[in-house]
Amino acid sequence: MQGNTAIAESAIQAGCRFYAGYPITPQNEIPEYLSWRMPQVKGVFIQAESEIAAVNMVYGASACGVRAMTSSSSPGISLMQEGISFLATAELPSVIVNVQRGGPGLGNISASQADYFQAVKGGGHGDYKCIVYAPYSVQEMWDITQLAFDTADRYRTPVIILADAILGQMTEPLLKNKSKPLNQVKDWSFGRKRKSGDKPVVIKTLHTKEGELEALNYKLFQKYETIKSKETLFEQYLVDDAQLVAVSFGISARISKSAVNILRKQNYKVGLIRPITLFPFPSEIIHETASLGKRLISIELNMGQMFEDIQISSQGKTEVYFYGRPGGGVFTPSEIADVLKRYL
Amino acid sequence: MPSLDDYKGKTPAWCPGCGNFSILKVFKEAMVELGLEPHQFLIVSGIGQAGKFPHYLKCHTFNGLHGRSLPVATGFRLANNKMPVIVVSGDGDCYGEGGNHLLHGIRRNLNIKYFVHDNQIYGLTKGQGSPTTMEGMPTKNLPFGVISNPLNPLAFAIALNCTFVARGFAGDQEQLRFIIKEAMNHNGFALVDILQPCVSFNKVNTYEWYKERVYHLDNTYDCRNRVLAFEKALEWGDRIPTGILFRCSRPVFEEKIPFISQTPLKDQPFEIEKVNKTLKEFFV
Repeated sequence: MQGNTAIAESAIQAGCRFYAGYPITPQNEIPEYLSWRMPQVKGVFIQAESEIAAVNMVYGASACGVRAMTSSSSPGISLMQEGISFLATAELPSVIVNVQRGGPGLGNISASQADYFQAVKGGGHGDYKCIVYAPYSVQEMWDITQLAFDTADRYRTPVIILADAILGQMTEPLLKNKSKPLNQVKDWSFGRKRKSGDKPVVIKTLHTKEGELEALNYKLFQKYETIKSKETLFEQYLVDDAQLVAVSFGISARISKSAVNILRKQNYKVGLIRPITLFPFPSEIIHETASLGKRLISIELNMGQMFEDIQISSQGKTEVYFYGRPGGGVFTPSEIADVLKRYL
Repeated sequence: MPSLDDYKGKTPAWCPGCGNFSILKVFKEAMVELGLEPHQFLIVSGIGQAGKFPHYLKCHTFNGLHGRSLPVATGFRLANNKMPVIVVSGDGDCYGEGGNHLLHGIRRNLNIKYFVHDNQIYGLTKGQGSPTTMEGMPTKNLPFGVISNPLNPLAFAIALNCTFVARGFAGDQEQLRFIIKEAMNHNGFALVDILQPCVSFNKVNTYEWYKERVYHLDNTYDCRNRVLAFEKALEWGDRIPTGILFRCSRPVFEEKIPFISQTPLKDQPFEIEKVNKTLKEFFV
């Protein structure tokens, strides 16, 4: 299956029944697939007039308790930031897929990971977080989409799937694993049946009473603390005896893994830590690894974004290096192998 | 005097047979006939196949964000109202993503010429339905047919009292050249919707489809009659009128801002002495 279609079909299997989006390359296969697939499962597909409209349509559908999703690529995701900030504040579950392309600006349609900051550090205004997943294979595009809908519902929060042009376009074999859908009654939503005299549902993000907004922020951050302790995901690969550990996510982790394999064959002691959730960031394992004196190198398709989180997490316990390429430039495994060798 | 060679730009990457080629050709001819040189005006474009238009010419170019050409053009005009500003856009860019901006652009009546390459489909992203795709037409994102009413851009513009509203057809170069020149000479906001067949992704609204339907508004047609113009704008189907549907005069936005009506903002002196004098008053 192709990465983009894997996300689309997995969303269907996860019970997503509402999709709104606007055409942009390299994610067009998601709406194209859902345009005919949604009606088959009695779901709704709508092509919005803009990304701003699309994210707000998700805002509305999610408020009714329906599993809702939108997808776009970098410039379109920028347009959605206002809506994402509102979704987080109103505590409405939703899944937002960003098949990243080269930036800044209109950029190009090649693979990039330059939206790390935007996804992980907020993007929109205000103190909020989104759970951010970074798949690195078509299989994970599938599995993470299942997971994304569950965590979105469990924590009533927007979830971002941060993919890229290569993952979206590449085709790989796939096992159609199915997560157990959360059987959750969304009491808070407009969708629940109500009797006359029941309290009406109010969805709002304006809190002007003294202390009200502050209390809401504390509540959100309590939720984020729970997410940090329960939802952090990462993979360790040949780290135990490694002297140098690459830290990499998404497609660059895929490439870095191949580089580690190349070097292992030549008896170099290198390993890989691959954050699967970017928020929550696997700070503890980074800190532990750094404390063991293993040196770290961040490998990303940008000019050093996750790099900063690795530096913060390692707290000066070890040396942290960086190698990256911006603007849609993509490295090869041997290129990364050469870089790793330089730092060994 | 400028010549066609002065306007030679990059080789277009449009599909062979694309309606955009004749719009490009006619546009160059119109500029030459108007005696405009490439350095004398600006083209603002957004995203889409039409967004590439200024790259295939030689002229001042501002290739901005998707749907946001009009706000960019507005900012430009207000900072430099001595330079003619043209916006080139497509049906998705102008009527979809930029719909809200069009509404307010028409209300303001800045001196901006808006040429919309309307092929009733998204070409750049390869065949999704656009705001002007006809209801019922299957597209890549709506395989069972478009279920929304298409936008009628001309009726929309006339309803808002847009000061110049016209429809051209890429297959009728002579009339299109006339419309472009008239729009350029108009004082105020001009919306020109240009029917432009997309040979790759719109298999319904083809050259033949348009040719069977388009007809010229004749000399007896009074384009200053708004009610009649609205009636003509509603005509779409077996017969599609082309030409200048409506024109009227309203004060231009730039002229309503007194201090830029004489000297453009970019040429206004920065008079620090005046500011200092006012500042000192606060310290007395």
